Amino acid sequence: MEQFWKILRFELKGYLTNKVFVGVTALLVAIIFLVTFFPRARELFGAGEPDEPEEREVMLVSGGDESVRAALAQAFPEYEVRLTEGDIRSPVTGGEAACAVELHGLSDFTYFVDNLSMYDDNAERLSGVLADLYRLSALTGAGIPPTEAQAIMDAQVSFDVQSLGVDQGQNFFYTYVMIFALYMVILLYGQMVASNVAAEKSSRAMELLVTSAKPTSMMFGKVAASCLAGLLQLVCVFGSALLFYNLNRGYMEEGGILSLLFDMPLALLGWMLVYFILGFLIYAFLYGAIGSTASKLEDINTSVMPLTLVFIAGMMVVVFGMSSGQVDSPLMVACSYIPFTSPMAMFTRIAMSHPAGWEIGLSVAVLLASCGGVGVLAAKIYRTGVLLYGTSPKWGDILKMLKKA
Amino acid sequence: MILELRDIHKSFGEKKVLTGVSFRAESGRAFGLLGRNGAGKTTSIRILMGVFPADAGSVTIDGAPIDYRRTGIGYLPEERGLYPKKKIIDQLVYFAALKGMKTSDAARACDRWLARLGMSEYRDKRLDTLSKGNQQKIQLVTALAHDPEIVILDEPFSGLDPVNAMLLKDVVKEEIGRGKTVLFSSHQMGYIEEFCDSIAILNRGEVALTGDLRQIKRDYPRDRLAIRSAQAEQIAADFPGQAAPAENGELILKLASPEEKRTVMQRLSARYDIDEMRVYEPSLNDIFVQYAGD
Repeated sequence: MEQFWKILRFELKGYLTNKVFVGVTALLVAIIFLVTFFPRARELFGAGEPDEPEEREVMLVSGGDESVRAALAQAFPEYEVRLTEGDIRSPVTGGEAACAVELHGLSDFTYFVDNLSMYDDNAERLSGVLADLYRLSALTGAGIPPTEAQAIMDAQVSFDVQSLGVDQGQNFFYTYVMIFALYMVILLYGQMVASNVAAEKSSRAMELLVTSAKPTSMMFGKVAASCLAGLLQLVCVFGSALLFYNLNRGYMEEGGILSLLFDMPLALLGWMLVYFILGFLIYAFLYGAIGSTASKLEDINTSVMPLTLVFIAGMMVVVFGMSSGQVDSPLMVACSYIPFTSPMAMFTRIAMSHPAGWEIGLSVAVLLASCGGVGVLAAKIYRTGVLLYGTSPKWGDILKMLKKA
Repeated sequence: MILELRDIHKSFGEKKVLTGVSFRAESGRAFGLLGRNGAGKTTSIRILMGVFPADAGSVTIDGAPIDYRRTGIGYLPEERGLYPKKKIIDQLVYFAALKGMKTSDAARACDRWLARLGMSEYRDKRLDTLSKGNQQKIQLVTALAHDPEIVILDEPFSGLDPVNAMLLKDVVKEEIGRGKTVLFSSHQMGYIEEFCDSIAILNRGEVALTGDLRQIKRDYPRDRLAIRSAQAEQIAADFPGQAAPAENGELILKLASPEEKRTVMQRLSARYDIDEMRVYEPSLNDIFVQYAGD
C-alpha cells in the first residue's frame, strides 16, 4: 500500500509538471473565460450605441396581388417582400434577391433560391401562409363576413404538457456533454497511460521498476494518478466555467446553452462522478495492460485499436439511444449492465428515464467488481508483458502466460 | 550471510531457460556469474530478485527462503534505463523510496551518493542531458542508495572510461569491505578476475562450473610453465612440439607430467637467460572458453 501511494504521488507529479498538461488546461480555462465574459464585454463596450437597422434581404413575388404581398410581408418579417412582373430567376442567381416565389394561384407555387440551405424552411412556411389565404378567400367566397372568417382562421387551441417522469429534452444536453467528456477523457488519458507504460518499457526504466515495486502497486498507482489528473483537469475546466458563469449570470440569455448546462441537478452530478471514475478506471487498466505488451511506442496506436473500437461502439449505441429517445430499449438496458458500456448507458438512463434503484445498484456493483477484476488482471498482464521485448506477444501467448502467473 | 540458488528450473512456454541452476554467494565477497548471451544469467538474476517465480527450486538466505521485504537488493541492470525527461534527484529518490526508504532518508542517501560519485552538480538536471558514462553513474546510485545487503551489477563497467571505471572499482571494493554480497555479471573477464572470489559459469541454462576461482585454477593440472626470456626461440627449439608462444609474449611450455616441473625449471635456468618463469595457471578467459564454448 505504501508503494501504491509513492507511485501515485510520483506519477501525479509527472502529470502536474507536464507542460502540455498544464498548457492545455490553461488554454481550456482561457477559452471558457472568453466565452463566458463575452456577453458582459459586448454590453460594456456596446452600451448606449443603438443597433444599426440591418438591411433586410429581398423576397420577390410574382403572380400575386398586394393582399398576398401584405400577408407574406407579415409572415416573413426578416425579408423585404416585393411584387415583380418580370423574370424572377435572374435576380436570385444574380444576388439582388435572396429568394423568389412564383405563384400559380393560391394553391400552387414555385420557390426559387440560389443555394438551398439545410435549414431553409421557407417553402413550408409559404405553403402555410398561402393555405390560410386560400381558406380565407374560400370562406369569404361562401358569404361569411371577412372579420368572422378571420376569427375562424385565427382560432387557437390552448394546451399544457406536464412530464410525470424526466424531461428528456431538458436532460439531453448535459447527458450529452457528460458522455462526450467521458469519451474524451477515456480516449486521451487511456492512451496516455498506455504510452507511459510503453515509454517506461522502451527506456528500460521498467527493468528497475519491476524489481522495485509490485506490479499491482504499479498498475493501480499509475491508473489512479491518471484518473486524478483527469478529474483535476475536469474540475479546473468545469469549475472555472461554473465560476465564470455565475460571475456573468446577469448577462446570460435565459435558456441559453450554458444556463442549461449549469442547471444540472446535484444528484445527477453525483452519478456522473461515480460512473465517470469507474468507467475511467476500467478502461485505463486495460490501456495500461496493452501498453505493457507493446515493444515500441509506435506500436501503441495499433495495439490499443481493438479496445478503442469497443469503447466507440458502446458510445455509438448510447448516443443513438439518446437521440432516438429510446433510452430504455433492450439494447440500452443490456448495455447498462455490461461494465464496458454501463458508465455511459446507465448514466444516460438515469438522466433521461427512471431506472429502478436495484437496476442502478446492480449496474454499479457489476462495474465495481469488474474494475477490481480487470485491475488485477491488468497487473498480471503488465508483469508478464513488460519484460517481453522484441516482437509484441500474441494474445494467445498472453493468455497462456496469465494462466501460469 | 549466504545467498544460495538451489536447483532452479524455469521455462518460458516450451523453451527451457534454466535447468537445475545452483550456486552460492557469500557476504563480504564478490561472486561472478558468467555465461554467453542467452545462457540464462538475466533469468537467474530475475528469479533471485523475485521478479518472477522459478518453476522449481529455491532461493535461500542462510538456508531459509528469502524474504524480499527484509532483504534489500540493489540492481544495476544490463539494459540501463531511467526516466530520460525527469529530474535526476526526483527519480533517484523515487526509486530509493520504492525500495522502502522514507523520502527524507532517500533524499539524504541519494545526495551522499551523488557527492561520492562526483555528480552533485547534475542533481537538478534532466537525465537526458548527461553523457552516457554519467548516466551510468546515476544508474549506479539507484542500485546502492537504499543500502542493500545484496548488490547485483550486470555489466557494470561497460561504457565507462578508465577514470570512471577506477571510481566504480573503488566503490565496489568499499561495498565488499562493508560486508555486502556483490554479484557480478560480465563478459569482461579481467574485472571478474580482479574482484570475484568465486564464480559460476552458465551454459545453455545449466551450471557448467562453479566454485572458488583460485581453487578452480589450482585444480587445473600444473603441467605448463610460462617463461619470459630473450632466448624464447632457442628454448622452443630445445623442446620441439612442447612449446607455444602466448599472446602476451610469454612462451608456454607443456610438460610431459607435473612431476617434471622441478627438473625442467632447473635445466632452463642453468642454460638460458630467464627473466621470469612460473607455473602457468589458466586465465578466467581460458576457463570461460573451455566451459562456455560450443
